[in-house]
Amino acid sequence: MADTKTYFIGQWDTFHNNGPFPTRILYDMRLEQSANMPSFFDRFNDAAGEVQQLIQDCINHNERFRAYGSGWSLSPIAHQRDRMLFTGRMNLKRIIEPDDLYPFSTFDPNDLIFFQCGNTIKEVSEFAAGRGKSLKTSGASNGQTIGGGISTGIHGSALDEGAVQDSIAGLNLIIGPGPEDIVYIERHSKPALNNGFAKKINARVIRNDGLFYAALVGLGSFGFIHGVLIETENLFLLKRYTRKIKPRQALDLAETLNFADSEFNIPSELDPDGKGTRPYHFKIFINPYNKKEDYVAEIMFKKDYRSDYPNPIPEIKKAIYKDLPTWMARFAEKHSRLIPKFIGALNGQIFPNLDHDVEGTLREIFWDTTHKGPAFAFTFGVDIQDTRKALNLFIRVANEEGPVPGAMALRFVKASQATLAFTRFPMTCIVEMDGILWKGGENIISMEDFEKKLLEAYIAAGIRFTIHWGKNAAWSFPGLVDYMYGNNDDVWKDYRSALLSKQMADLFSNDFLNTVRLSDYRVNTPEHLVDNLLQ
Amino acid sequence: MKNHCIANKYNPGLFIYFLIVFTIFLITQGCYSVRISNVNGVPEPDPVNFEEGFYRGKAVKEIDTTVNLKLLENEVLVLETCPEGCFQTVEYRVTLGAVLLSGITLGKVRRIKVKYVCLKESDE
Repeated sequence: MADTKTYFIGQWDTFHNNGPFPTRILYDMRLEQSANMPSFFDRFNDAAGEVQQLIQDCINHNERFRAYGSGWSLSPIAHQRDRMLFTGRMNLKRIIEPDDLYPFSTFDPNDLIFFQCGNTIKEVSEFAAGRGKSLKTSGASNGQTIGGGISTGIHGSALDEGAVQDSIAGLNLIIGPGPEDIVYIERHSKPALNNGFAKKINARVIRNDGLFYAALVGLGSFGFIHGVLIETENLFLLKRYTRKIKPRQALDLAETLNFADSEFNIPSELDPDGKGTRPYHFKIFINPYNKKEDYVAEIMFKKDYRSDYPNPIPEIKKAIYKDLPTWMARFAEKHSRLIPKFIGALNGQIFPNLDHDVEGTLREIFWDTTHKGPAFAFTFGVDIQDTRKALNLFIRVANEEGPVPGAMALRFVKASQATLAFTRFPMTCIVEMDGILWKGGENIISMEDFEKKLLEAYIAAGIRFTIHWGKNAAWSFPGLVDYMYGNNDDVWKDYRSALLSKQMADLFSNDFLNTVRLSDYRVNTPEHLVDNLLQ
Repeated sequence: MKNHCIANKYNPGLFIYFLIVFTIFLITQGCYSVRISNVNGVPEPDPVNFEEGFYRGKAVKEIDTTVNLKLLENEVLVLETCPEGCFQTVEYRVTLGAVLLSGITLGKVRRIKVKYVCLKESDE
């Protein structure tokens, strides 16, 4: 039997120190040893039974419940005051056999892998790599669990691949304590697994596009994500270049992603006509406090996999994860005017090393990071056509209301079909500032006030935007989710209310969901909304 | 007034005492650590480890002991078990005090300070 340790923890914090938040109980669940229970399905179902018991216990005590993985979100989306379940040890994995596939499925079974929720992106990538496969994309690092990662919408900057949730082909949710409360959801327009597989995980099948897309970025509130079916692809290499780029060139490229006609190109990556080829990944690093300075472009091209490439990890370790030193925040709180000078002086430390070309697999290029102190991230998604306007406005607010201790970047990802996807524009430009947490005072604006100023400026300028669910923002800003998602938040609430009972909808809610006004339950939602549309 | 002057007078005993304390402080604090980490694999998690830095969220085990070797013994073998069979990270710490202790005792007394994290259990 799976075993759960109970901690009366009192308070809980995110990986990046964005709390602490009051929390009564933290559960830490361990799976049954494989020596005692060798069958994947037995262990998986045993864990499901344990989760259902925990849910029942919450019902008995009239308390709420929330699962979380690595706690990497900087917003309080993973937090629950009552009871939290750490899923990090729930890391079963199973390859999909041809016999598991839906009869007319268009998926190649060799590309599909079923993962339990607590597998981290690194575990997913390593397991896939052992079978000659790779994730299609990942975030900038690999520590998020797959369950947490998809439900908050993690993304990288793979232009034409989408966010991580866009590789998901099926979702296994636990939506209550009863035998009918384990469901397997996939698209009716693109089925993947057959009913026999669902039966093996004791799940009833719902093939329904609308429900699937609503639950995909479910913010931890569509039930407990127990398993996910991921579509992988054959292993590939990424050739990574870092170059200086003129701001005008960078922003022209950002607004069009027309690499063929850009003045900026990598000579070794031109097509036979001498035009730039479309990269897999494009990211621009910006110092918001120096208008005259060139930007830094990180650009990666997809290559066929081969094994004779140099180990990229030593270079990646030096090149990618650059953070402002923590002491700078303490200094900035007293001497905020010096922030631009510090960022200028530390440019070589904060931004990637220039002209260091590296080649590696996705899992090697977007490798480990470690905790480096309290951190913040403001992350907006805008249509690429609004990039220049959104960036200039952000920089103006940072200079007029700040300065604040952070550096900026732009990334680019195609639209996701998930109902509440952060990457919702046909091509989303991610305008972000990362830095170290600071406290407001006489000499520096508070983070909360700065977040509000940003929102006010964007709304006043009529810029359509979204905000990454796992990042810092003035989430209580009136009408924020309506502004960002139009009717989609209503669609999301309808599907959630149709799938979950009122009691379960409340059990899977938290303060964050209340704050963004997504916890409302719609009593009269038609049940047929969550019908199985393909037997 | 007189007493005050006496109290401020140079006191060699006190000076030597502070010198010894300062030297001991330097010896015990003069140290460095080296961390060896596995490129592959994921560390065993610990959801209630909220310490700052590299070990946050990881299940850290520590060995902090002094080993007395017998006359004919010349090496130390510390046996530890990781459920998955591998270490993810090992960090050893060397202090000036430990080096001096080993030197003075001709290597027969060895101070050991090691931190390690196991690889996360997996069903692969």
